Amino acid sequence: MDRIKFIKMTAGLLPIPFLSGSLLAGSSKAQSPEPDAKITVCPPYLKKGDQIGITSPSGYIFLNELLPAIKQLNSWGLQVKIGRTIGQRDGTFGGTDALRVQDFQEMLDDSAIKAILCARGGYGAIRIIDKIDFSRLRANPKWVIGFSDATVFHCHIATHCHVATLHSKMCNSFPDDWEKAPALQKDTILSIRDALMHTGKMEYKSIYNIYNRTGRVEGDLIGGNLRTIENLSGTPSGIQAAGKILFLEETHEYLYNMDRMLWNLKRSGQLSHLKGLIIGAMVRQQQRNPADELNRSIYDLVSEKTKTENFPITFDFPVGHIINNFALKCGIRHTLEVSRQGTRLIEI
Amino acid sequence: MAITVPTALKKNDTIGIMCPSGHLDLQNAKDCIDTLQTWGFKVKVDPTVGGGFHYFSGTDQQRCQALQGMLDDKNIKAILCGRGGYGMSRIIDRLDFKVFRKHPKWIIGYSDITLLHLHLNKRIKVASLHAPMATAFQPNQDTSYIKYLKNALHDRKSDYKIPADPRNRTGSATGELIGGNLAMLAHSIGSVSEPNLKNKLLFIEDVGEYLYALDRMLQQLRRSGWFNQLGGLIVGDFSTTKDTSRPFGQNIQQIIEQVVAPFSFPVAYNFPVGHQPENVTLKCGVLHQLKVTTRSAHLVECR
Repeated sequence: MDRIKFIKMTAGLLPIPFLSGSLLAGSSKAQSPEPDAKITVCPPYLKKGDQIGITSPSGYIFLNELLPAIKQLNSWGLQVKIGRTIGQRDGTFGGTDALRVQDFQEMLDDSAIKAILCARGGYGAIRIIDKIDFSRLRANPKWVIGFSDATVFHCHIATHCHVATLHSKMCNSFPDDWEKAPALQKDTILSIRDALMHTGKMEYKSIYNIYNRTGRVEGDLIGGNLRTIENLSGTPSGIQAAGKILFLEETHEYLYNMDRMLWNLKRSGQLSHLKGLIIGAMVRQQQRNPADELNRSIYDLVSEKTKTENFPITFDFPVGHIINNFALKCGIRHTLEVSRQGTRLIEI
Repeated sequence: MAITVPTALKKNDTIGIMCPSGHLDLQNAKDCIDTLQTWGFKVKVDPTVGGGFHYFSGTDQQRCQALQGMLDDKNIKAILCGRGGYGMSRIIDRLDFKVFRKHPKWIIGYSDITLLHLHLNKRIKVASLHAPMATAFQPNQDTSYIKYLKNALHDRKSDYKIPADPRNRTGSATGELIGGNLAMLAHSIGSVSEPNLKNKLLFIEDVGEYLYALDRMLQQLRRSGWFNQLGGLIVGDFSTTKDTSRPFGQNIQQIIEQVVAPFSFPVAYNFPVGHQPENVTLKCGVLHQLKVTTRSAHLVECR
């Protein structure tokens, strides 16, 4: 009963994303307390000579591990500012909670810094997110970049600031020797440049999977790491996926755990009223005892929870903890086209 | 709406045993069945006990029907879940509590069953027993704690007094008990089964989780407001936590201390609840008083 009530509530929100284009721009409703009524702001794209800050809001990382990324960013014509968390360590974290807050905050507030790149994921963003003041980000937008644990930033910023962010590889994924790196790895790294410096509209392809559900939709992208999204459920950073194209990826989790997380999404209404669903790499941890393994595929687990909906679904999309992980602009409108010929996601 | 507390069991009442989640070998239920019979109860064993569908004790439909059947069967006066594991999340929204609401009975279990306790508490408003399951009755371990389940079924007042842990935060609070497995508590957040924690006494336990994962779950509880108006916190067993190759840097007590630092409710550590033989029976939804002093932690049912 209450479930129906809940679905009705989310259904009530549905028309808002339709209106969120030009109709409401500049009108008083843009200040409406309903967050999704706000139009997402796209931060200025980076130009040669612009500065990008590197910080470690989650796990610790040392400066020498950043060198390949710094070299590559420099080759794109970007200046790099190394945050004070780099080289710092507090247990598993890149410095104390206070230091990680300070580093991130300084980069947010420094108008000379045009983008903030998370050095790596790990764990820790959730511990500091409430202590970071994002109140000036919407007026002075800049790109926040990362994935995995950085999903906290994508979701929090989407819900609170309505500013676009970049879901992409981080410093620890840049190849040590660019010349010898596989073409696919180079392409994924260069997709960060293409997205940040706006060399053209982003476009992604993946091959047809029989579990896909075909269709063509338009919507803002939202998503990231499934575990992190579940961890934000019910909190002030929880996502509002209705009316959007949701993408999910996961790594190093047992299949039963992925199933449980997907149930949380379903049971909290996040799989209703999506425009589309993109499933990236779902890298599973094998059970030591094969008898403990769930007798399902990730395709089954997603399909069973979305069978009463009719939005398009695409699997094996090139996003996640794999080499084939391309930069995706969260909060930016895309066309998702899932057909027998394959899947295309195109920035509008 | 007040919580309904199921009535005490009488001699020759029937307890149903079923497995709503993971598979359990029938032989591992034997000691449980025998013990319940020596306590004077009849036992009805569902085919999901000893049944198997790969990891699960049956298909989703079989598990759901088994639990539904026992919820609706007026001759069954209590339902003991044979085992946890994983699977409750897959069937909980298919269960119909209409008959159960009118004829409530004790539902017994922990771990994965936590989700059912939360759901019963929030949506159905019926008290339930966070208590040992089938394998806890096997004599190759300390079985002294299963007597608390017997006490609860006979409607004896809960009264647990344990020596103080030096890290305890003193104070006292009165409220309804709720809690269970931390991963399942976090899993409920945002869903229709998420409990309301205002003035409640929350107990938590977990098994085999990484320290960073436990921290993440506790951060979620904090960020969802669970601690804002909490009456008191009871920390159960976390003895089997794991650490990552990059050590987390804090142990579980430090993690909890840091999360609860901004609040002032009493906290009792090392409470005998969790995936160990030292697992008392806790009545979810029933009013208790928690008194934490420098000498002891005392949890007593109010009646």
